[in-house]
Amino acid sequence: MSSNSIKTWLLSAAIACSITLHAQSKPNAEEGKKLYEANNCGSCHALDKKVVGPALRGVQTRRSNEWLVKWIRNNEQFRKVDKDPDAIALYNDFGGAAMNIFTNLTPEQVLNIVEYIKTAPEPKKDVPANTNKTDEPADNSSTIYILLLLVLVFSSVLLVLSKVKNTLKRVEAEKNGESEDSNKSKKGFFEKILPGDLGKRNPIVLTLFTIAIVGGFLAYVGFKFSITEVGVQKGYAPKQPIAYSHKLHAGDLKIDCKYCHSTVEESKQASIPSLNTCMNCHKGVQLTDKYNGEISPEIKKIYAALDYNPEAKPGEEYGKNPKPIKWVRIHNLPDHAYFNHSQHVKVGKLQCQSCHGPIEKMEVVQQYSTLQMGWCIDCHRNANVDVENNNYYKALHEKVKADKSGKYLTADGKIRVTPAMNGGLECSKCHY
Amino acid sequence: MNKKYSIIFGAIVTTVLVTSCVSRGNNPGWEYAPDMYYSKGYEPYSQGDSNVINPYGMNMREPVAGTVALGKLDYKYPFENNGEGYEMAGTMLKMPEGVTLEDGRAQYMYGIYCTPCHGQEGNNDGEVFKKVSTLKPAWKGYSDAYIQTLPEGKIYHTLTYGKNNMGSHASVLKPTDRWKIVKYVKYLSNKGGVSAAPVAQDSAKTN
Repeated sequence: MSSNSIKTWLLSAAIACSITLHAQSKPNAEEGKKLYEANNCGSCHALDKKVVGPALRGVQTRRSNEWLVKWIRNNEQFRKVDKDPDAIALYNDFGGAAMNIFTNLTPEQVLNIVEYIKTAPEPKKDVPANTNKTDEPADNSSTIYILLLLVLVFSSVLLVLSKVKNTLKRVEAEKNGESEDSNKSKKGFFEKILPGDLGKRNPIVLTLFTIAIVGGFLAYVGFKFSITEVGVQKGYAPKQPIAYSHKLHAGDLKIDCKYCHSTVEESKQASIPSLNTCMNCHKGVQLTDKYNGEISPEIKKIYAALDYNPEAKPGEEYGKNPKPIKWVRIHNLPDHAYFNHSQHVKVGKLQCQSCHGPIEKMEVVQQYSTLQMGWCIDCHRNANVDVENNNYYKALHEKVKADKSGKYLTADGKIRVTPAMNGGLECSKCHY
Repeated sequence: MNKKYSIIFGAIVTTVLVTSCVSRGNNPGWEYAPDMYYSKGYEPYSQGDSNVINPYGMNMREPVAGTVALGKLDYKYPFENNGEGYEMAGTMLKMPEGVTLEDGRAQYMYGIYCTPCHGQEGNNDGEVFKKVSTLKPAWKGYSDAYIQTLPEGKIYHTLTYGKNNMGSHASVLKPTDRWKIVKYVKYLSNKGGVSAAPVAQDSAKTN
């Protein structure tokens, strides 16, 4: 122990000496800023708010320079060997999350950093917060309906007006005793609407003929429409409770889909991440510089759902009333069809994009595939199962190799196995 | 004249009908039989009527406190999420036998869960760190002496609970995968190679 205390005494003496020595050369805030960035102080500290460690602004008024030098260079020694009560209290206040050791910094450099903290400009607060301008245009569908309603009203007004006009005309004609009307009324309906002699043909045949053509056309359109649109939610892109952008996270930041949808290889479902996955980054990423020092409104929703208060005392940030986020489900397979993600992703080694489309380019996710049975079957008939390099298909590979009929071979003698050949079209594989 | 208006009317009515059953934007479109689309049985993510029994109308529930799911005994972790637990994990927690890098699983899992921040080689040059540099830790990369000498138990503890800006990865990584990643981090750390040079420069500068 005595040798230890001598050592610390020597060290503190040396530090004190160096401080007095360097006191003549004034601490340099420019240098300090560079050091602050080079040592990633910002990963745990911010100037005006608590992050992992305390807010730094005004630290020179709270602690002496000597204390700061000791703490910043080697807080562990400061706590455990020097047993400084303030240091121990600070450590305990922050839930025992120890600060890194920076013995690579000279005391002079530490003072430069302190000088930088002292002189760093205050954030601008006087700008009125106009964070609400990100509001998207009002709900589109309702405006469309209002427009349609207006069109309806105006067209009925037009119709009434034209009726009035016609009546007036007729009254005028009757007054003048013109006989045009009586001539017209003698003509049959078809004579009026069809050109030439067509109207004089047998009206029954013509009626049936017209009904067949028009009816057939309508039936075709209706059928086509009902099989491609009704019950098919391709293109469905609902507004989610948090405007999470797959384009930013999966596209620009290149975060693997499986980072968040982590059970996709283990389970039937590709899990919707719980909010602790968001917090892996958003504990630190709050985008305050984009929103005038406020936390981004979308990130605030995560905090609100978790009952998380970033300003609270360490260890007490998470409140007692977390609530789940009610995401809107997009891809919904009917109850009577079974689909398993792990079979397709882990065994079949399919990319997420082959069914979900270019998710990494979608600001708002929409359903890319129809998810109709024909769509499943198409792929099961045409896809290639790589039996040769896949352990899961070892038995199938043996069977394929032993097969003499040649049904597993292409024209040029290569092995080709589709899911259909391995029972991928059996009803009970998906419907049971 | 009347015919013209009736055509316009017809067109409007058809447009209204058609737009209301095509799925676009917030509108899921029409369905033949909603009963068949929305499961009456409880499924993890089904979204129809809220579950009236469970909290928040969810179908999923958290495990009962104090229980361990079958085959998940290794999810029990003895050390607490504080400085003391971290130190204890460092001295007491040892890598289990038989953790190997040869099956490629470690590299695969590292690629998914670590590269967004720490980068392919562990040089802290992942896309997230590039974009938000304030998240970066104080050390430069895995080849830093800090990681080279960091006990394996402490790395495992960090993966389990998170540390500083890093969050807990316990819910996405199985304990066996966590150990594999610890092994892979140590492998990258001791490989030297790519990132050895910048670290040498740094120490030269500060000395």
